[in-house]
Amino acid sequence: MTDKKENAPVLVIGAGIAGIEASLLLANSGRKVYLIEKTSYIGGNVIKFEEVFPNMDCATCMIAPKQQELLADENIELLTLSQVEAVSGAAGDFSVKIKQKAGYIDLVNCIGCSACFDPCPVEVDNEFEEGLTKRKAVYIPCAGALPNVPVIDTENCLRFKGQDCQACQEACAFEAIDFNQQDKELELKVGAIVVATGFSMFDINKTSQYGYKKLGGVYSAMEIERICASNGPTQGQITLQSGEAPKSVAIINCVGREEKGYCSSVCCMAALKLCHFLKNKLPELKITQFYSDLCIPGKAYQQFYQKVKESGVDFIRAEVTGVSESAKELAVKYKTDEGKENTLAADMVILNPALEPGADSAKLAGMLNIPQSREGFFSEKEPDLTPVATAQDGIFIAGCAQGPKDIAETIAEAEATAGRILSRSG
Amino acid sequence: MAKRLGVYVCECGTNIADKVDIDKVLAAVSALKDVEVADRYKLLCSGDGQGYLKQSITENGLTHLVVAACSPKQHETTFMKVCEQAGLNPYLFQLVNIREQCAWVTPDGEEATDKAIRQIRAAISRVHYHTALEKKGMECNPDVLVIGGGIAGIKASQILAAPDRKVYLVEKTASLGGKTKRFSKLFVNMESGPGLIAGEIERLQKSKNIEVLTESEAEQILGFLGNFEVKVVSKAEDKEDKEQNFNVGAVVLATGFELFDAKGLPQYGYGTLDDVYTSLDFEEMNLADGPTQGKVLLKNGQPPKSAAIIHCVGRAEKGYCSKVCCLYSFKFDRMLQSQLPGVKIAHFYSDLCIPGKANQKFYEDTRESGVEFVRSAVTEIAGGDKGLTVKYETETGAKGDLAVDMVILLPAMETSSDARKFAEMLNIPQDDKGFLAEEHQLLSPVASAVEGVFVIGCARGPQSIAESIVQAEAAAGKILSALVPGRKLELEVKTSQILESFCTGCKTCIEVCPYGAITFDEDRRISVVNEVLCHGCGNCAAACPSGAARLKHFTFPQIYQELKEVLR
Amino acid sequence: MGEGFTPRIVGFLCNWCSYAGADLAGAAKLEIPASLSVIRVMCSGRVDPVLVATALLQGADGVLIAGCHPGDCHYREGNYYARRRFALLKKTLETLGLDTERLMLAWVSASEGQRFGEVANQFAGQIMELGPNPMKTKISL
Repeated sequence: MTDKKENAPVLVIGAGIAGIEASLLLANSGRKVYLIEKTSYIGGNVIKFEEVFPNMDCATCMIAPKQQELLADENIELLTLSQVEAVSGAAGDFSVKIKQKAGYIDLVNCIGCSACFDPCPVEVDNEFEEGLTKRKAVYIPCAGALPNVPVIDTENCLRFKGQDCQACQEACAFEAIDFNQQDKELELKVGAIVVATGFSMFDINKTSQYGYKKLGGVYSAMEIERICASNGPTQGQITLQSGEAPKSVAIINCVGREEKGYCSSVCCMAALKLCHFLKNKLPELKITQFYSDLCIPGKAYQQFYQKVKESGVDFIRAEVTGVSESAKELAVKYKTDEGKENTLAADMVILNPALEPGADSAKLAGMLNIPQSREGFFSEKEPDLTPVATAQDGIFIAGCAQGPKDIAETIAEAEATAGRILSRSG
Repeated sequence: MAKRLGVYVCECGTNIADKVDIDKVLAAVSALKDVEVADRYKLLCSGDGQGYLKQSITENGLTHLVVAACSPKQHETTFMKVCEQAGLNPYLFQLVNIREQCAWVTPDGEEATDKAIRQIRAAISRVHYHTALEKKGMECNPDVLVIGGGIAGIKASQILAAPDRKVYLVEKTASLGGKTKRFSKLFVNMESGPGLIAGEIERLQKSKNIEVLTESEAEQILGFLGNFEVKVVSKAEDKEDKEQNFNVGAVVLATGFELFDAKGLPQYGYGTLDDVYTSLDFEEMNLADGPTQGKVLLKNGQPPKSAAIIHCVGRAEKGYCSKVCCLYSFKFDRMLQSQLPGVKIAHFYSDLCIPGKANQKFYEDTRESGVEFVRSAVTEIAGGDKGLTVKYETETGAKGDLAVDMVILLPAMETSSDARKFAEMLNIPQDDKGFLAEEHQLLSPVASAVEGVFVIGCARGPQSIAESIVQAEAAAGKILSALVPGRKLELEVKTSQILESFCTGCKTCIEVCPYGAITFDEDRRISVVNEVLCHGCGNCAAACPSGAARLKHFTFPQIYQELKEVLR
Repeated sequence: MGEGFTPRIVGFLCNWCSYAGADLAGAAKLEIPASLSVIRVMCSGRVDPVLVATALLQGADGVLIAGCHPGDCHYREGNYYARRRFALLKKTLETLGLDTERLMLAWVSASEGQRFGEVANQFAGQIMELGPNPMKTKISL
């Protein structure tokens, strides 16, 4: 192996916890790392969670030191708003074309004071908050997002619709808003690539029986995560549209499992976590979980389940056939394994969907020339023996890009990619 | 040397200047003791601002610096770098947060100004008591000790070994390969376990930088990250015990698993009834070099016509799901079906745990092949003249019997009995299930609470082979990142220290240190901080009754100065 | 009580959670009583009871200690020690017949800007009710 190969920079795609962990380990060993992220912030999906199972750790507190370490690391070059456009070459000598979208904010001048938000006349749904709140066309996704730099959303900004609005520019005392910024194309030379593009949630709109987006009181698990979050749209207050706290909640698991054809590993635990959280906030709340098989692998998980169960959560092994509105409540219709049908009344329904590969996986797989599994996740070279390697030498996968998994497994895989890349045993 | 302090207030555009009357602040602090310069600047974190600051430090010959600006989370490192560039020790600097915690949260301008003055006075007082701190490095040994020659230990050794990094792989038994080499087939692709292990051992043997020590055990491991002293004793049956001593920088524990003892649950008849097997017994039966040369046979020498697979044996007793049993049970179905066409198989289970992208298909294929799944608790396995009877009860309380020729129990996985030995030797906590505990269950899954000691594979909980390998590679990643041959280990600057003359030897600090960074020097009868292990939390400083333990940069006098000024 | 009284409150905040929470309150432009002055420590476990007692003797009308939620400590278990020391200190003050309501221990995470605001305002309100620290006049160091 040539010296160049051994010390070549590494490209990490995706700045969720997997990408952050891999970057930190590689950089600490002395490698130059390019970390590219398609959004304007780092931390991925995990920073959307107030608390994570099984110890109810505060996710932000857990990740923040790593985020800060990453931003301060001189070996790591973070490129936000960036995506891979083309890849050529081979292990040790890849050429990667990156497109970095203009954010129209001068990173040097911007101090993150957020003075530009208020004057912006545009209001659109905030994706980070699952559309539960509005944001401006110049915005940061949530309080505390890192890097603390806003971005202008050209799809909604009036100026990019041909109007002569410069409200944000006038409000900025630092001349940090620069409408003349152009998208950039970069050519990176790297020796190895880590794909850590994470997951998306199964689109519940593809189902009709649960009344999602049609009935008030029906939420996705991610919406509830944000509602539970102290930095979320309701500052952690759990209320129905009426403004009252719910008295009864039904959690429906395995939404989309049949469509996807696999068990998403973490949803049972995520649902148990929500129970724990909701019970803590609203001790009188009646919670019922609908499930088929409880999948709680891992040494600490069953204990968590028992704790939740003992706190008074009901578990019904049944298939939910429909959710409808009845008087002031929702009616959850279900069918047990033995074929018995029944209905449960609840004033809030939480749908717990499957995890699926990120939206751009197919495109990226094509560019990297790595196969995807039947389910659309990136494939391992050999599932048993080389779980973080791909069919392409020098290209590695970590985290939910490879398949649904929990935080610990994701971190271990990220560390494993670093192990493979830093290894000189051939 | 006389102190010359510089105090700089950042306007932060309008963010601070709008609320805080900076001129008033400057007037209030410029006459304080040793203040040489007190000035304002539009935006100190900007390139121009940093340039100005640097120049001002040099021109005024400043010995200490106070900057009042934003949160240290934003720009403490920025200004510390400026100090370095200006030749000033970066620890002779104090940043005052008058943006996030003053200007932005105090609607009244006068109150904000008063608060800013108090905070800056506090920082000026504090910085008088700062001392210059230097970054330190420590020589470290890049070699690694791997304990356990199963698949996890083998993979970790392979990845770590390099011309400048020797790996010692210590295995208790006479051969490498652990449990995996006894699995004739592996889920989900049904490849051969012995084949896989043979290939890996071959790769291992090609490396000149791995020393394999079989029939050997680590008897003593002393030290810390970058510098462990190891004693290994080899006890080959026909040879004299041989002791070897060497140094390594890190230790990887890959001690594997054992099965829950099914004899502890007499209702299943294991050990008392013929033809009741555990999963490992069944694996042995399927090996070409096993007791039946790979044939699935009953005690009477006949092939079984039917089999029951009982899931979750010991799960309730152990209190956790062992994660991989459901999946390997489907492998058993295929092994039975391929040898015994037409064999009837029934699984007794409560919940199917088949997480992961590829596994549902594995299950569905099993189901379609005619295997029956009975969601029931097995209450008893009864023996009889005509074979075995599985007595079961469904979730709704219905009872049933099924006659079968063979029963395969899937017992829970436990950590190996060696876990305790190493937990005690290395002072690593075990969780309430006996598994070796992670440094942080989520964020640091392969590191242990003891820095430089890693825990991988089933030693830390039930895992699949792929997961064990991920963890082996992960431990390697952490080690390769931290212990670079020829590079010194960079140490935390703001560590604790124990002042010899104040220490009474009460050992309180040793008790409260979360990192085991403090040891007792028996000769001098005092506690000593190991700077490699100290993370600088200051818990010892808070606990020390005699004021001997001091956290650098957060000493009592430093905090006291801040305190007295904010209370003025 | 409280007429013309401007209290002095000291807040010992851990670097990783509570200080970040306080920063977040700032980013959200919440109102925090100006009477609260924050002293940053790396861990709530660094807060020596002697420091707290000193603060009271120096005339602090209230002392707030805030750290990561139990289980979230950046240094594994510093906040548990903080909790124990706090309980012990309260007991000691009680025995001496001193006001324990002038002390508060709170858990504030890095994402809880709102909560930091609530804690700070509630505690400041409590101190306003209590009025000036009598030790300020009785004892001088």
